[in-house]
Amino acid sequence: MSHLGERVSAFVDGELSHSERERALAHLTFCAACRAEVDSTRALKSRLRSLDGPAMPTDLTMALLRMAEPGDPLPPRTRPFPDKGASFGGVSIPGPYSFAPLDNRPRRGAGDGLVGPGRSTRNRRRAGYVAVGVASAAVALGTLFVVGGSDPKPVVPPVEMFKQQHNTTVPYGTPGPAAPRP
Amino acid sequence: MTRAPLALAAVAVLFGLTALSAPARAVQPDDELGEDSGLGLLRQAAHAVRVQAYYGTQFVTMWNPEGSSSSLVDVTSVPGVGITVKTMAAGEAVPGTVELVDPATPAGGLAAPHDGMIDVMARNFEVTTAGEGRVCGRPTRIVEVMRPGGAPAARYWIDEASGVILRREILDAGGRLARASAFIDFRLPEQAKPGAYTDGNAFFAVADAPALKAKGWDFPATLPGRLELFSADESENGYLQLGYSDGLSMVSVFVQPGTLDEEGLRGWHPQRRGGHTIWVRDSVGQEMIWASGGHVYTVFTDAPADMVDAAVSALPHEAEPGVLARLGRGAQTVLAWLNPFA
Repeated sequence: MSHLGERVSAFVDGELSHSERERALAHLTFCAACRAEVDSTRALKSRLRSLDGPAMPTDLTMALLRMAEPGDPLPPRTRPFPDKGASFGGVSIPGPYSFAPLDNRPRRGAGDGLVGPGRSTRNRRRAGYVAVGVASAAVALGTLFVVGGSDPKPVVPPVEMFKQQHNTTVPYGTPGPAAPRP
Repeated sequence: MTRAPLALAAVAVLFGLTALSAPARAVQPDDELGEDSGLGLLRQAAHAVRVQAYYGTQFVTMWNPEGSSSSLVDVTSVPGVGITVKTMAAGEAVPGTVELVDPATPAGGLAAPHDGMIDVMARNFEVTTAGEGRVCGRPTRIVEVMRPGGAPAARYWIDEASGVILRREILDAGGRLARASAFIDFRLPEQAKPGAYTDGNAFFAVADAPALKAKGWDFPATLPGRLELFSADESENGYLQLGYSDGLSMVSVFVQPGTLDEEGLRGWHPQRRGGHTIWVRDSVGQEMIWASGGHVYTVFTDAPADMVDAAVSALPHEAEPGVLARLGRGAQTVLAWLNPFA
């Protein structure tokens, strides 16, 4: 077996498996160099465990305690697109709190009929209303059409029966004792 | 029933009867309260037809736009029962034409109209006595029914002995004959005693008209020619029967839901009347069929042709229902569902 090398620390900490520990002990019986290294490692770790922990600085402790106390009012919210911000040539310049790019889309003029990227929210909302209205009207008309039933069926009047009823009708009176007889 | 030759004979007979029965004295002012008034004579005649036993042969002629139709009819009255009517041809009864009918019906020639019908006649016309005449050699009293303008609408020859109407003429607004019936042979049994007759309870189905209109039926209460609605009845088979009368004639209107199956009409042919397509067929009376607004109308009447044309024009003549009509029906149905008081 070769020298322990990096396994010295693990051997000192007792982290080797049973077989590796047996082989390490067998090596230490005849390797003085590895025994010396194991002894020095044990001595170093023993000294480190005997040292005290670091002390907390007083100013750091006070700074942490102040973070729990009530603070000042929040600063005013900065609008991403300030109305009266700085401008240059009629085009607004983004402020220090702005994060949106410049709005350089074409403006909608009165009657110019421009549509597209510049269409306003109101128009989109109006189009939505129209679509909902058209769909509702279609559903209502369809319902009335179905409920209205089918178209009248073609009929042939029972002419002879009607004629018999006409012939035996007594105007302004009940039929007399006579009954139609074939 | 024989057509043209019989009609010519009918005209000759009627002219002869007219010559024999010309009024012997001037028209007398009518007194509706007196028994000898025109209305009083008509009421007595209607009663006499029901209670008096008699028999004879009657000549009946009708004029319509297609021409005239005439027939000979054997009539036998059985008091309290009705009258037996046999249509004759060559001295023999035509098979299938023997009927026992109520004399107040169109099949009985409206020979014994009920008081309600005579009341309507009194409202629409002026009824006067018009002298005396003779029919079949028997003395008669003549009653004339005049239109408000003075034109004659009908004439009745009433047997003085029995009170039975021996001859009757219905005229159109132009004074032309529309229907005429006259006995060419009339006999009373020896020792005949008038029988008993109980007049049926008067009924006026018109009271159902509001309920029928609430169910969607649409029909007028009156029609041109002074025709008044006297009955409106919905059958179990889903059709409506309407009866109109001016006191002289009767018009029956049958209304069915549906469209007209023209290919199923055998023996009928279309005509244009008053701007409308009307299906007619050759018959003694006037018979018409047409479609309007999802309904089929069938009319039977023996009224004068001009009155019938005006009445038919006043009845609905609408186009067949389309999508809008179907949507309207749907809306009515939905509203009926939503109406808690329906």
